[in-house]
Amino acid sequence: MGRLRVLVAKEWEELRKIKMVLYGALFLPLLMGGLAGFMVWQGQGLPPEAQAALFNTALMYFLILPVMIPVTLAVYSIVGEKEQGTLEPLLATPLTDWEIFVGKALVAVLPAIGLTWAVFGLFLAAAHIILDGIPPGVLTLPWLLSIFVLSPLLAVFGVLVSMLISSRTSDPRAAYQFSGLAVVPTLIPLIVYSVQLTAVNFLLVILEGGILVLLDGLFLYLAVKLFRREEILTRWK
Amino acid sequence: MIHAEELTRRFGDRTAVDALTLDAREGEILGLLGPNGAGKTTTVRMLACLLAPTSGRASVAGHDIREAAPQVRGSVGILTESPGFYKRLTLERNLRFFAELYGVPAPREAVQRYLKRLGLWERRAEAVATLSKGLRQRLALARALVHEPKVLFLDEPTSGLDPESARDVRQFIGELASERRTVLLCTHNLAEAEELCARIAVLRTRLLALDRPDELKRRMSGSRVAIGLRNPRSEFATALGLPFVRTAELVHDGLSVEVADPERDVPALVRRLVELGAEIRSVARDERTLEDVYLELVGGDDGAA
Ligand SMILES: Nc1ncnc2c1ncn2[C@@H]1O[C@H](COP(=O)(O)OP(=O)(O)O)[C@@H](O)[C@H]1O
Ligand SMILES: [Mg+2]
Repeated sequence: MGRLRVLVAKEWEELRKIKMVLYGALFLPLLMGGLAGFMVWQGQGLPPEAQAALFNTALMYFLILPVMIPVTLAVYSIVGEKEQGTLEPLLATPLTDWEIFVGKALVAVLPAIGLTWAVFGLFLAAAHIILDGIPPGVLTLPWLLSIFVLSPLLAVFGVLVSMLISSRTSDPRAAYQFSGLAVVPTLIPLIVYSVQLTAVNFLLVILEGGILVLLDGLFLYLAVKLFRREEILTRWK
Repeated sequence: MIHAEELTRRFGDRTAVDALTLDAREGEILGLLGPNGAGKTTTVRMLACLLAPTSGRASVAGHDIREAAPQVRGSVGILTESPGFYKRLTLERNLRFFAELYGVPAPREAVQRYLKRLGLWERRAEAVATLSKGLRQRLALARALVHEPKVLFLDEPTSGLDPESARDVRQFIGELASERRTVLLCTHNLAEAEELCARIAVLRTRLLALDRPDELKRRMSGSRVAIGLRNPRSEFATALGLPFVRTAELVHDGLSVEVADPERDVPALVRRLVELGAEIRSVARDERTLEDVYLELVGGDDGAA
């Protein structure tokens, strides 16, 4: 078995044992999915344009999810190692610095994307039943791009921010709180969207995608620098 | 097996380890003895490729620590100063994780072997959180060994343990040398070093001495002779007038005399004392304990520790 797989399997088993992390990661998707469903439910019997407006607002929840879900996972996978004093034994193994970093990132990114898409699928199915079909002019290319391209970029963003913050503190609560700030970039398009409701246009999505790629690149660079053995051993608190 | 040359590590402008040169042979338990802050942990971290040396070179298990860090990591086992575990996972799962990371061919079997060997097999399915400190230390030993490393670094393996657990751990370490493993044992416990180590390196940022425990004692105490007298009198000390006597002083029931070479000088010394009218009850080499030697070495000049 590859070392990376070994690390991810361990992380996953550990996270599953911590009720707060597990429920924390599941609670949000369920809540957001429920809210989105409720919103669509209110559109029953309204004209299609009004339904579409509600639907668009509901879809925005699916941009917050990928940032919020991985925060608890990423924070724990770093702070947990610190708290338990397992970093040094881990660093003594043949794992490369890069493998440690990628393993820790994946264990948060993958559930975030998976859960977002799963809840999104459930939401579409529910909406289909509630409204007797998805209103026309809703699932446009920009929206699909948002869900399938922006979401993963946002998940990576949330994870990198959480990992950077977690490496600087050994207090999980402080780490959770600060990492919550990762959600800020998603609020900007959210505000734009909610002001202009249906105007989820191609340009905005491309713009946000571009900004996210840049931010992800920058944070990735910083994180990789932080995830060097020597750095972890001597500078992490 | 372990070969370090002028190994140096600085943190900012503080030197933690200064030009350390030492060798440990295959199957040897080499003690690294020194007070807190002496640089023991830093030395181990450099040799286990966790920290890069500022200068100097070293090879461990035949691999250069700068050029072949992954190979070094794969062939050494380390018991860190405060060895942590994933406390929610079971003993078995913790060990298997490390066995797999080290690429052990049959991890389950290796884990079973070491859990049994360290008397932890019955508790394999419990979470590590339930273990006492002593048992946790045993599990840490199992982890350090599960990939059958040729070289082992043990950083203060008995510190903070109750006497019984400490004895168990020491006994186990003793067994390791007979398996041809090379062990670098960091400790500030003299009795432990004397009991377990073939040779002891005394470290305080710099290497102060490196020798067998008995040699260290002999070399440091060597030339002192204790003479028991029935009639101790101070003029015995002052009137000796022998060229080879360096110092002589009256202690409560005799004399303590420092001579150049006890083998050669003691007969003449005794003859002279008898001439002076001393009634000699006993003559003994003044053996010092390792502790005296250590304190003299370490208690040195600059008070940096
Ligand atoms: N990461 C670090 N940053 C700064 N100084 C350090 C660091 N690690 C160790 N030191 C310093 O190096 C010296 C040796 O420490 P250490 O190797 O832990 O000694 P020992 O293990 O013998 O107690 C100490 O003065 C310590 O303060
Ligand atoms: Mg130490």
